[in-house]
Amino acid sequence: MSVKNITLAALMGSALAATSAYADIKVGFIGSLSSDTGLSTLRGAEMAIDEINAKGGILGEKVVLVKADTGEDVTEGVKAYEYLAETEEVDFVISGSIDDVSLAWLPRMIEYQIPTLDTWTSYVGIIDMVVEDPDAMAPYFMNIASDEALATLYINFGKDVLKEKMGWDSVVILAEDTAFGGAITGLVTDALAPVADIEVKDIITYDVGTVDFAPLFSKAQASGADFIYQISTVNSQVISSQYVKLQVPLAMTGVNVGAMGMEFWEDTGGAGGGISTLSPVPSVGFDMDPVSADFVEAYQARYTSRPMVPHFNGFNAYHGVKQALAAAEEAGGFGDVKAWSAAMEKQDLTLEKDGKLWLRYAYWGKDEVEPVTQRTYPHNGRFDLEAPYDTAQPSMVVVQWKEDGSVGVVYPFEYANTVYTLPSWVKE
Amino acid sequence: MNIRWYHLALWAAFIIGMIYLPQLVSKGTLRTIIFANYLAIFAISWDVLSGRTGYVSFGHPFLIGLGAYTTAILTKRFGVPVEISIPAAVLVTMVGGSLLFLPALRVRGSYFALVTLAFMELMYQLVQVIRPDLTGGTRGMSGIQTLTRGAVNGYYLSFGLMASLGFAMWLLMKTRLGTALSAIGMNEEAVRGSGLNTTKLKLAAFMLSAFVAGLGGAFYVHYLGSIAPRALFDINFVFTIIVAAILGGASTIIGPIFGAFFLTFLLEYLRPYLPGAERYFIYGGIALLLYMYEPKGLHHVLQMALSAIKGKSRS
Amino acid sequence: MLQILIQGLLLSGLYALIAVGFTLIFSIGRVLNLAYGAYLMIGGYSYFYFSQILGLPKIAGVAIAALIGVATGLLIYRLVVKTLKGDSVAIEIATLILAVVLQAGVVLLFGDASKILLPIIPGVVRVSGAAVTYNVLVATVASWVILISLYLFVRRTHMGRAMQAVSMDMKGAAISGIDPDRVNTVTWGISGALGAVAGVFFASYTQLYPGMWVSPLIIAVAVVIVGGIGSIIGTLIVAHIIGYMEVIVTSAVAPELRGVVTMVLIIGVLVLRPKGLFGREEL
Repeated sequence: MSVKNITLAALMGSALAATSAYADIKVGFIGSLSSDTGLSTLRGAEMAIDEINAKGGILGEKVVLVKADTGEDVTEGVKAYEYLAETEEVDFVISGSIDDVSLAWLPRMIEYQIPTLDTWTSYVGIIDMVVEDPDAMAPYFMNIASDEALATLYINFGKDVLKEKMGWDSVVILAEDTAFGGAITGLVTDALAPVADIEVKDIITYDVGTVDFAPLFSKAQASGADFIYQISTVNSQVISSQYVKLQVPLAMTGVNVGAMGMEFWEDTGGAGGGISTLSPVPSVGFDMDPVSADFVEAYQARYTSRPMVPHFNGFNAYHGVKQALAAAEEAGGFGDVKAWSAAMEKQDLTLEKDGKLWLRYAYWGKDEVEPVTQRTYPHNGRFDLEAPYDTAQPSMVVVQWKEDGSVGVVYPFEYANTVYTLPSWVKE
Repeated sequence: MNIRWYHLALWAAFIIGMIYLPQLVSKGTLRTIIFANYLAIFAISWDVLSGRTGYVSFGHPFLIGLGAYTTAILTKRFGVPVEISIPAAVLVTMVGGSLLFLPALRVRGSYFALVTLAFMELMYQLVQVIRPDLTGGTRGMSGIQTLTRGAVNGYYLSFGLMASLGFAMWLLMKTRLGTALSAIGMNEEAVRGSGLNTTKLKLAAFMLSAFVAGLGGAFYVHYLGSIAPRALFDINFVFTIIVAAILGGASTIIGPIFGAFFLTFLLEYLRPYLPGAERYFIYGGIALLLYMYEPKGLHHVLQMALSAIKGKSRS
Repeated sequence: MLQILIQGLLLSGLYALIAVGFTLIFSIGRVLNLAYGAYLMIGGYSYFYFSQILGLPKIAGVAIAALIGVATGLLIYRLVVKTLKGDSVAIEIATLILAVVLQAGVVLLFGDASKILLPIIPGVVRVSGAAVTYNVLVATVASWVILISLYLFVRRTHMGRAMQAVSMDMKGAAISGIDPDRVNTVTWGISGALGAVAGVFFASYTQLYPGMWVSPLIIAVAVVIVGGIGSIIGTLIVAHIIGYMEVIVTSAVAPELRGVVTMVLIIGVLVLRPKGLFGREEL
């Protein structure tokens, strides 16, 4: 190599550096900037990006983050996505949107074909869209187990704990009148009798704006069932806090989005004892592997406002952003969506605790059939629906808040650190 | 008809300017203008009914939602082509408009405002309860057919719709119909006393308003590609429509267009500086102050400014 | 059966408390204060902040909430209502904008997450199969006490009679030496306090969240429409009609139709009997 050539290479190098400083990799955050959910994803992404920049960025470029607030409003969600795509011209979108907001901007994602990762939305209908139209949905990934997988494992909790340990034979389902409530009610009703041998005595559907749940609890009691399965995502705190305040003499377990964060105790002023809910992992009360524990420690050193512990989607965003950037490095950037999508599908991170597989951030293959539900989950985060959970983490855990303010995992047993107990006012 | 040549010249200049706009501004700005166009259509619809007659509608999303849901359900669930579903949506909205008209036969003022609010709430409840398999329930619907791709096409479609509806309504309000409707707003008894059939006049206003709302709602949902009851039948949405119409200048048709652009751009330009909830706080605060201290709206401010300039040039 | 009777009574008491402050303004000031729901939001959040976060005694929390409610009511009257000089439609629109601004303010101060208020008095008693929390019992009793004292205030005191006079005929009252501005100021203050206290009870029944002002506003609107320009007694009766209807629909018909029935009632009454069931009555 002649001197001349070296100079030329150096010149070209510095020219490249100059343009690349201009053309940073832009990551756009979409979600609510005033909810624990949105902030978890945002902060997880911020930390991942700072770590990567500290190591020199990717493809020789710095990664920058811009944000667009949705205020959990669907129309604002569409506007926010458009803003990221056309004003900021981002390369990749990290989303902490709630389900209906994701559904609102999805048509835009299909139009722009920007690589996008959802960390909170779990609606299986979106995975169905990937199955139906893999080309249009190639840029979309969801690294939380879809709600169908959540519900399936939740039935097993009924069988293993409620039926076998508590000895309950019948249930009354108390479900909100939403599409989610309807879908889960159908699933639970169909599966409870054959899988868990629990009889469904009655299904009570209620309006999400209900002020007073006392008549509903009376109706549930009158059904003669042994316990209540609650399915509520909208205003879920109302029904559960009234349950506690009314001291309904039946056990109630179910979906309670509010109880998934560490602030639940403070927000309810302690009136949340006895409440149990399913939660994607890592949830509150979940034992952390060393990597996740380090993440939480760094998070707490950096952020002093709520949420004090990131929700599961904060972990998803932290690992998910790193994986998306790694995939971009392999695919030569985000520009070739098909190449990026193929590289993203292959991302695989396994975290171990005491020699056991604890968490896995990977995706289902296109044609890979999940053995329990007998269907495929392309572009959905990997989960395992069967003990001993050695291919991935379970799709969900059941956590319970105790009356002393502590919280722990009660199911699956491999991940449990406390046992399911009845609230003090419920007689066995 | 009280139309001067410079009115038409201004319309022509506005339309020509807007046609050339995509050459000048970024795609992101066009996207913002698309939302402003739809908001302008809704504000025009509100203005035709409430700006003039004094029958203040607090439930305009009821009409918009009827149009949007009808075409969304027809295209998504039954595979009906948009050429049929959009006219059907407009018809359904006009039927809804006549439902809204029933209470207007008996109550006015605050009571009428409240009953329209009740209509909106009823619609919100019904969409979730009745046939959620069709409406998508609380979660709404996604993946509704979109008519255009890309910012430029969406811009031309929405602007064409807004400009033709705006111009048509503006012309109509310059006719005796418009004058009579304004008279109803000032003193309904007097209009009736002068031998005009106020019921027919009011019905005309409701039908026109429903027509615009239905058409706007239908195209809006085919632009968004998704629909959810929480964002549509929402008091915040009512707030945006009414404030756009009033800030711009009620009962002028042009004013609501100004208002819609002003509000949409205000909200969008605050985004980089105030990404979080502060944005709505400032935005609402500005709207409140403007409304309190300039209740006749931006249209009036502009007119004052124009006449001041004219006055100067004459002297 | 008895259960429905008890649960209906409790819910209706709460609804009456929610509606009465709104009725008061509508009846005396002749305007619809759409920021009324925001009083409940402000009351609920103030109570949460002072008594649950700062740990002040509960009764102090309620008192502070009421005071903040009075201040809010007075501010809205001075800054919005008086500026708009009684143009009722303009006031409706301005108060609606204000409610949206206040909601954004709450998001700024407290965030989006919903919060649960501790019961004002914890514990529960069972009456023939119906569980009744002391909290709800207190709310109902407080609601009745407040409504009765308000009734006595309006009937027996000089100020109350002045309010009645203004409510019937503003100009006539002014001629006979009553200062309508003073009467209005007092009314807006009382309404603010009533709204804020109702907010504490409403929130302890449900939850605190930034959008919480809408549903009590709808309840208040329903009561006013169904009852007609309100008297205190009329408010009480209509609150019981709506409360019982909800409980019966929830426990005996179909719980998901709860909201639909109320809206159909509103629209039906307005179309068939636009002046409301009780029409124009004395306060």
